[in-house]
Amino acid sequence: MTNAISPLVAVNDVSMIYRTRAPNGEALETVALKNANLEINQGEFISLIGPSGCGKTTLLRLLADLIQPTSGSIGIGGKTPQQAREARAYGYVFQAPALFDWRTVMGNVMLPLEIMGYNLADRKARAENMLALVGLEKFSKNFPWQLSGGMQQRVSIARALAFEPQLLFMDEPFGALDEITRENLNLELLRLWRETGKTIIFVTHSIPEAVFLSTRVVVMTPRPGKIEKIVNVDLPHPRDFDTRESPRFFEIATEIRESLRHGHGYEGNE
Amino acid sequence: MTRSRNFVPMLVVGVVLIALYFPIMLLANYPAAARALQRGAVLECKTALECSFDMRSPIIPAPAQLLIGFSSLYFPPTSETSVPYNAFFTGLETLSGLLLASIVGLGLSVLLVASRAFERALLPWLVASQTVPIIAIAPMLAVLLGQYGVEGWIPKAIIAAYIAFFPIAIGVSKGLRSPDPIQVDLMKTYNAGSLQTFAKLRFPSSIPYLFTAFKVSVTAALIGAIISESATISGAGLGKMLSENSRASDAVGLWLVMIGSAILGILLVSIVGWLERVVTPWQRNH
Repeated sequence: MTNAISPLVAVNDVSMIYRTRAPNGEALETVALKNANLEINQGEFISLIGPSGCGKTTLLRLLADLIQPTSGSIGIGGKTPQQAREARAYGYVFQAPALFDWRTVMGNVMLPLEIMGYNLADRKARAENMLALVGLEKFSKNFPWQLSGGMQQRVSIARALAFEPQLLFMDEPFGALDEITRENLNLELLRLWRETGKTIIFVTHSIPEAVFLSTRVVVMTPRPGKIEKIVNVDLPHPRDFDTRESPRFFEIATEIRESLRHGHGYEGNE
Repeated sequence: MTRSRNFVPMLVVGVVLIALYFPIMLLANYPAAARALQRGAVLECKTALECSFDMRSPIIPAPAQLLIGFSSLYFPPTSETSVPYNAFFTGLETLSGLLLASIVGLGLSVLLVASRAFERALLPWLVASQTVPIIAIAPMLAVLLGQYGVEGWIPKAIIAAYIAFFPIAIGVSKGLRSPDPIQVDLMKTYNAGSLQTFAKLRFPSSIPYLFTAFKVSVTAALIGAIISESATISGAGLGKMLSENSRASDAVGLWLVMIGSAILGILLVSIVGWLERVVTPWQRNH
């Protein structure tokens, strides 16, 4: 295999149609994603951005084999999404932390390791490492309810990283947090990405967040959900709070905002 | 800390109940006492009000009568005819019944959750089992089990379990379905098997539901144990005492046994509460 050239993630003409029935018995079709094409290389940080109903979460769930496409094909490192899931090739961070109430912070981070059959010493060592990486080593014995929302989401990131997958899917992980916490976590996530060299696919509806984090931003529009444009983010690394104030940052943000409008037909009702 | 915080309001309610007891007792006993005087019964008391406190067979016993009865029925506690001695056996039957009910209830809840078809087939029968009057089924079960040499506390525990398993089966099956969909998705991303998902997600999620069910079940099981004791009038137990006292028309005795079973009920529910705090330290509202 020529891994150096072929993309890590390849989405070929993928569509997702939900078929439901209206109360009057009429068959309804919702096109959540239409003819999506996307290639993602190793080590990239890709953001999927768009309003509700544009299919960004659908695309992420398709990649993770949590749902299966109506048509088209997806390759992840030369495998199907199901094979990739069975090989535990990716970590997934959900919109909510989804921590288990009855487990301590440490116990939550060790959960995937238990399921995957790591021995106790290994589980502890890895979980401690990951908690240190997200700066929560002092809270390992706490229960989730004793942590703030931002800290809970950091635990869930540590949990997703615990078995060291090379690929990380993140579905609006900071969506429920306040702006200040979100900006701090963005900075932390960028550091983590640079330190570990992982490939991250990140769903968001925040333009500044997408520009700040990504190497490329995939702009998606709804009805039907489709990929409108892929914007290259050529801001230099390492990025910090000043990055958000550079002229180039605004240029890219404006480009994304305009293509969101273009696909959405917002001009008329604004 | 939570202990003393709970204890004071509980005492206040107790004082209010005692204060209400006097007027209610008078309302209950006064007409009966007045009738007895009218019939010209030879009594030591002169007025109906006075007699209300001193009837041989009061409708509601006067506090002084209860106190006298208390010293003979509660002391010594090791006596076979004392309330504490019999309450101990009733308590043991109730707890063994609850244990049996947990095993049956947990098993059923797993089956109920395993398939919708199974739930549709099973649930109506479970509901039917609970609508059968326990007072009819208890002596029948005791006789049935007696034929096979199962006697003493075991039939009573079985009858207690018969009432107690239902809230456990329903509560736990709800608990097993309670995980958040994204928690189920999370397990899927780990490629966890259904057994792992059950052991690490569904079962732990159901434990708070199990304890809620226990609190309902334990009082139901206590009633089941008492009814089966009073139906069989064998061995020991509060139910046996109730039957004997009602045959002897001993109203004071009946009241003292009822107070004993109320205290036992409070004790059993607090045992469940204590167990919950020990088993589920992660719950914030302990």
